[in-house]
Amino acid sequence: MSKQELFDGKPVMVFTKETDRRNFLRWAGIVGVGAGLAVTGVGVGGKQPAGAQTDENDLEILNYALTLEYLEAEFYRQGLAGPILSGRERALVEPILDHENAHVSSLTATVKKLNGTPVDKPRFKFPEGTFTDKAKFLETARTFEELGVSAYHGQVTQIKADPILAAAAAIAGVESRHAAILQDLTGGDPFPAPVEMPKSKEQVLEAAKPFIDA
Amino acid sequence: MKRRDFIKGSVAAVPGSVALQMLGTRFALAQTADFGSDIDVLNYALTLEYLEAEFYRQGNAANLLTGKEATYLAKIGADENAHVSAITQTVQKLGGTPVPSPAVDFADSFSSRDNFLKTSHTFENLGVQAYLGAAGFIKDKDVLQAAAGIFGVEARHAAVVGNLLNLEPEGGVYMGPNETPKTKAQVLAAAGPFIKTASAAAGGAATTL
Repeated sequence: MSKQELFDGKPVMVFTKETDRRNFLRWAGIVGVGAGLAVTGVGVGGKQPAGAQTDENDLEILNYALTLEYLEAEFYRQGLAGPILSGRERALVEPILDHENAHVSSLTATVKKLNGTPVDKPRFKFPEGTFTDKAKFLETARTFEELGVSAYHGQVTQIKADPILAAAAAIAGVESRHAAILQDLTGGDPFPAPVEMPKSKEQVLEAAKPFIDA
Repeated sequence: MKRRDFIKGSVAAVPGSVALQMLGTRFALAQTADFGSDIDVLNYALTLEYLEAEFYRQGNAANLLTGKEATYLAKIGADENAHVSAITQTVQKLGGTPVPSPAVDFADSFSSRDNFLKTSHTFENLGVQAYLGAAGFIKDKDVLQAAAGIFGVEARHAAVVGNLLNLEPEGGVYMGPNETPKTKAQVLAAAGPFIKTASAAAGGAATTL
């Protein structure tokens, strides 16, 4: 995936807090933030009651996932607000918006439950034409879904608490369904490999860069 | 990986959406362990993959499909074969004995295009639920990564076949905002009718279909 495929490399995501941006960049594998700063758990520390065993690593992964879900939810909200989709295509995409909104809600609730601070919703700037050209919209959706799948699978072995792993896996499977349907709608291959592939840090870096106003 | 040992069963017992609300009470949800080792989980998965692989071998040989449908189902069959190979090799690498393929009976699944796709849809969703239900028992991170990777592809299969059947998007193509797990007992009850003889090499009834 190149920058050119994703909004011609223009930034589409603006974080309202510097700490949110740093956390996302860290988990997207984008190096450049001081490692000493990152490992202090920016944005999630300081609220744990005595005796709580929530792992800050898990909280940061949840906030990373939440950021991606915010991106997806806003993308579909704007896309479905317009008239470019109709019929079966629209019927197949509308539940995806519902799912992404549900993921935002459940991830937010989980971070709070763990006494963490959910990342603020970033501001997004989608390039002209994203929501007026059906083919462009669906191809971008496909890209987002495949990115979501590989991002979740990239964290499978990083998550420490089983209930969080269960929840993340339950979401990841749904993202796989979305990805396959969007591949089908865009003439792609719904089954690009016999197993989902986690993205390496370098691959996520390539894909995530254009989203972020770094 | 002791953290997985003491909460065995929690993933199988709780849908992801519910699990999110259950972080403080997971001990109450623990149940008798269905699997004693990663090899047990893998052999359970291997039996299901054998079932799927044979299902597509017979179904795709029946020439019920054309065009894009035929292409997709051929791809799905190839994926299941790849899963059989990968899981078999993993069991061997871990020092275990892979279960043999079970004898199967798919009844009238290949009497029509619709029956083939409907049974496929059932198998794929069952596979998704089986993997999610067993994931919490896996201790080795590499095995977990592989199982999760297979799980996601089964979800792709389920969605696409549901769409080929022109099912309702929600409840037919997608199964809600979160995948739901099934316990081994639930999976066995669903798969049982297709299995004629249980494989016998996985350590007894506790780990075979």
